[in-house]
Amino acid sequence: MKLAYYPGCVAQESGKELDMATRWVCRALGIELVEFPNFSCCGSGFVDEANEVLNVALNARNLAIAERAGLDLLTICSTCQGMLSLANLRLTDPKVKARVDGALKPIGIEYRGTTKVKHLLRVLVEDVGLPAIRAKVRRPLSGLKVGAFYGCHLLRPGDEMNWESPEEPRSFEELLDALGATPVYYRGRVMCCGFPIQFVKPEVASRIAGRQIDDAKTHGADAMATPCPLCHISLDAYQNQAAKAVGHSLDMPVFHLPQVVGLALGASPEELGLARHLVPTESALGKIGTKAPA
Amino acid sequence: MAEETVSAKFEVYRYDPATDAAPRYQEYTLDLAPHTPVLTALLRIRAEVDPTLTLRYSCRSAICGSCAMRVNSKSRLACETQVGPELARNGRIVVEPMRNQPVLRDLVVDQEPFWRQYDAIDPHLILDPRHPMPEGKETAMTPAQVERFHETPRCIACAACFSACPAVEADVGFPGPMALAKLYRFVVDPRDTATQDRLLRIQPAGLWTCLRCHLCTEACPKDVRPSERIRDLKEMAIRAQGATENGSRHAVGFKENIRERGLLQESKLVRQTSGVAGLVSQLGQGVRIYRKKPEVLKSPHRIEGLDEVEKIYAALDREEDTS
Repeated sequence: MKLAYYPGCVAQESGKELDMATRWVCRALGIELVEFPNFSCCGSGFVDEANEVLNVALNARNLAIAERAGLDLLTICSTCQGMLSLANLRLTDPKVKARVDGALKPIGIEYRGTTKVKHLLRVLVEDVGLPAIRAKVRRPLSGLKVGAFYGCHLLRPGDEMNWESPEEPRSFEELLDALGATPVYYRGRVMCCGFPIQFVKPEVASRIAGRQIDDAKTHGADAMATPCPLCHISLDAYQNQAAKAVGHSLDMPVFHLPQVVGLALGASPEELGLARHLVPTESALGKIGTKAPA
Repeated sequence: MAEETVSAKFEVYRYDPATDAAPRYQEYTLDLAPHTPVLTALLRIRAEVDPTLTLRYSCRSAICGSCAMRVNSKSRLACETQVGPELARNGRIVVEPMRNQPVLRDLVVDQEPFWRQYDAIDPHLILDPRHPMPEGKETAMTPAQVERFHETPRCIACAACFSACPAVEADVGFPGPMALAKLYRFVVDPRDTATQDRLLRIQPAGLWTCLRCHLCTEACPKDVRPSERIRDLKEMAIRAQGATENGSRHAVGFKENIRERGLLQESKLVRQTSGVAGLVSQLGQGVRIYRKKPEVLKSPHRIEGLDEVEKIYAALDREEDTS
């Protein structure tokens, strides 16, 4: 399987461990990642708020790059997935399409609307398939209770994202089960992490993040796992603030999606960049008989 | 022919703040046809099993919006939620009052916080007294003008969105999805003359606390799509006033930030949003993150084809294009 790899900004910057883990897992599963040094940022929802048509046009350019190469686009971020899918959808409005085409044609870019945008979670569950993944598990995550945390833009609006149930998604939990882990079901798994207002209203953002982490903890999770690096920033890098907001310690290790897959497939914690997390992952790694990197 | 029934197990939230120390969940089991609405089942419980069960309802036809409650944790109208699919996905039916509004008794909440936010946006047309409507004539709108707010009049004020909203849950000052969707309706109404004032007031009053998580759009039984109308409001507010709040500075700052290299310059964005004072207040956290993730201070590489990105901005990010 060959896909246009759209890492997004964070995985190329402060969330580099997500990129490391993605490459490791894709290599292990025979997914060829084709890189394009000309992809730009998806706008992360913020450009959409400032100028909707500009946001669609920037993403149409990204989609056109993959289209020209005849490849579907692989995202590793719920927000990138949401923004690129939304561009495809909004381009079905002839008025939006005309303005976007008007900006792209003079620079020699044409987007015909054929690029499919797929998040890694969906590729793993639908294209690679759980039986194939199960067969490659070298280090079953037995005894590890993991709370999946989906990230809003992978699921909602449900009629626009057009994948699994936005209220009762199952793909991540089924994947965790295939890896040998015990999925934890809790309300917070489909809620918001607070990230969009982390720098706008930090105290509200921390209350929201704290609530979801606390919910996972109350339901018995040893760790959380997310397919979105922005959720990871809220849940891991700002977990100390979230703990302050809920008034007690949380101590919740938070993995990126390909890190849990990589651990089960036999990657070392170093290869997955676990030392880069703000919240130590030792407690979770101890349960599956491996050690965190120094 | 007798209709096939299923055994439906209900767990219903019971609480009277005047007499109960804490809420409890009461179980009821009924044989029901799978298409029975949850509201009908609750009314049968009240009529045949337990007359003390308290709930609010009226039309039973998804028109009045009175019977919004949480069914298996989702905020929705009990009258249009059938027991069959709920049993299929959860094995039982947990019925609870809406969130974000204090419980008066059992499934009835005090909607005062919801209506207070609605009142605060002045939910009526504001006309210019110096230019009264011409006597005996209607103020006609074009189909295109009406089309701009075709979704919002469908709102039945059931408060399901208010109940589902994580920003309301974490910040009592946030207007909530319904009030903001209604505000949008008046802002784009060509007859209303207070557009600028409305946009000016809503920016500091919580517009930018919206997380665009779309939980409101998912909860809405009438497909009003509040989160998408809040997005429209944000763009209109920036256009009307520029970036005057942390939220609008963040959105505009982000747009300018990625224009420079094609990718996000993370630490620069914090400065663009919060200014130097904000940067200083985040210093401790920044150092913690930097120790593990030193890239946070580095600028990303310039993407190839940055000139194309610049030309897209030049074509679409002009003042006259953002209408």
